[in-house]
Amino acid sequence: MGSKKKNRNVGIVGIGETKFSSHREDVNQPEMIHEAVKGALDDAGLSIDDIDCVVHGNMELFEMVHQPDLWHTLGTGAYGKDAYRLTTGGTTGGTLVAAADNLVASGMYDTVLAIGFEKLQEGHTTGGITNMADPLWARKLQSGALTDSAAVKVIAEFGEERARRAAMIYRIIMDKHACLNPNSHRAFGLDWDQMEDLMTSSPPLIGDLRLIHMCSQSDGACAMIFASEERAWEITDRPVWIRDHITIHREETLNLCVNYYPNETTHRFAAEKLYERNNIKDPIEYFDVFEMYDPSAWWGVDWLRDFFLLEGDEHLKLVEEKEIMINGRMPVNPSGGVIAANPIGATAMVRVAEAAKQVRGNAGPHQIPRPVNHAMASSFGGTMWTVLFMLEKELNW
Amino acid sequence: MSTAREDCFTMEGKLALPYQYFAGLTGSRFLISLRDQKKIKGLKCNKCNKIFVPPRSTCEICFEEISGNWVDLKNSGTVTGFTIIRYEEPHQPVKPPYILALIKLDGADTPLTHIVKGVPLSKMKVGMKVKAMFAKKSTSSIMDIDHFRPVEGKPKFEMGYTYDELEVGMSASFSKTISESDVYLFAGISGDFNPMHLNEEFAKMTPFGTRIAHGALPQSLIAPVLGMKLPGLGTVALEIMARFKAPTYFGDTITATGEVVEKLEKKRWVRMALTWTNQKDELVAEGSALVIPPMPLPQQAE
Repeated sequence: MGSKKKNRNVGIVGIGETKFSSHREDVNQPEMIHEAVKGALDDAGLSIDDIDCVVHGNMELFEMVHQPDLWHTLGTGAYGKDAYRLTTGGTTGGTLVAAADNLVASGMYDTVLAIGFEKLQEGHTTGGITNMADPLWARKLQSGALTDSAAVKVIAEFGEERARRAAMIYRIIMDKHACLNPNSHRAFGLDWDQMEDLMTSSPPLIGDLRLIHMCSQSDGACAMIFASEERAWEITDRPVWIRDHITIHREETLNLCVNYYPNETTHRFAAEKLYERNNIKDPIEYFDVFEMYDPSAWWGVDWLRDFFLLEGDEHLKLVEEKEIMINGRMPVNPSGGVIAANPIGATAMVRVAEAAKQVRGNAGPHQIPRPVNHAMASSFGGTMWTVLFMLEKELNW
Repeated sequence: MSTAREDCFTMEGKLALPYQYFAGLTGSRFLISLRDQKKIKGLKCNKCNKIFVPPRSTCEICFEEISGNWVDLKNSGTVTGFTIIRYEEPHQPVKPPYILALIKLDGADTPLTHIVKGVPLSKMKVGMKVKAMFAKKSTSSIMDIDHFRPVEGKPKFEMGYTYDELEVGMSASFSKTISESDVYLFAGISGDFNPMHLNEEFAKMTPFGTRIAHGALPQSLIAPVLGMKLPGLGTVALEIMARFKAPTYFGDTITATGEVVEKLEKKRWVRMALTWTNQKDELVAEGSALVIPPMPLPQQAE
């Protein structure tokens, strides 16, 4: 796990996101994707002719469609171009960015368009996800996409009251951020005086995971354009540089079905390696924003400790003292995060896109009110899979 | 060597994967026009001068937005490619065999995939002019077009199946109740006044105990099968063989059946297996026939 050697620098030069929503009846799949692609092309000031390669991805079977990239060509613009399809579960959006970065860094292509999408309203998420489980030992026992493992862990360590309060503070912070982001699917306008009520009145889903904690199922797409350093400067005067990314997964332990292996280590392991090889001593000090793939408020709270390599209850304090708010010491998910919108195949890419927009300084109403030079974005999927990105404003590392 | 084992389990499973698909504004407009006006519409890219059907909101060539440029297309078009589906799967829209064709509608630049009916499988060809037949009941889907069928000039004469259209296994039959008057008329036609058929008192002394029909009378019921049904109008019979297995009494209902069993490629003749049965499903006679199927008449040749 040595230092990542990059053949050449790669800049993010175009970003397009659709509005995220529970229903997009007005567009079919290629049309919805086209909105994001058009947005990214317009953002970069490019036409589809300027794109060398298209990388497309979403979750397998979530819309009950096999090889959707084939007929999505009408929306992706991949006609006559080199194209790839990737699907790695919830991390798909992150893997798309990692692949696009590698394709450009390697010298294979100068300009690559990556597209993540999902139309969850058209499919059956749990039906698709159940396919992941071992057919012999686990499939008939699956609970679907939900788990309360993080809640169990945080409660066991910090007690019910503090744990539940922390999860709800995290949830309300995310909603406050979501209310600033015009693309949010869910922005309720929650406020602090509702905390106690929500902790008991929100419908319980599984264990201590309640409906209010959980991310949504959303429709939406995200498209990003990546260019070599030379090409990036031709396209824009403010490219956002992908300094490094790391992919860590423990998929190989899934089929063992017994927890010989601790299954929450991929985030911390990825962070440790990424910081080590980039010489980051204090991530909270270094990063100006973190866009985290937080499928539920419980996971969000718990994972802060892994990603920032915190000890004891430091992560809870970050939440309790509201330091993760948009104007706090370590802003997390000014976009509202995954709980605000979760078009799964796009979700992890949206994290990178939102982090990049913060670095550019044009995120919109949810722009962090101070300079953003260093950003981090994470992806999560397949139950034990992490992709972690470092983005930079300047080429000076 | 078989790899099947009795001491290994197979896990039977069934995954429910229900889904919806949002047709979008563009796709919906196409479906609404099919449903309400029985009109097929396309979208035109003015830059590339191409008309697309099914509609797409961006031009697949130049990637421009074209969703406002609706044009009406004709309900007729030309087959640009086709295949014959013979295997059967539960998801198929109709029972095989059926023809699935690419049809370039008049006025469009891209073909539409749909089912073609009303043409024998062996007669299907690229370049055929076809027209859309709309479903009686709308499902607000592409199946509002039920199928396409050939736009045909009316033939001067009706014809049976030609050699190329006939396939081994095709069969047809004709049934009729044999009455006393049929037997008397047949006696007159053939000149066979055998008392077995016409004299009840005589017939009482025979092993049958009553009058029976001439053997050739039920046998003749195969003529309408061959000459009018299979192969049908225009058929020439070369040979009809029959072995009588049971008598036909007055009032019996006889069914004569012919089935294609062999195509004689060299002569382009067809051999058929024949059976005659009565209302009790008893075999009255069996045999075979050799026929020349109808040949396309000059005015019907393409």
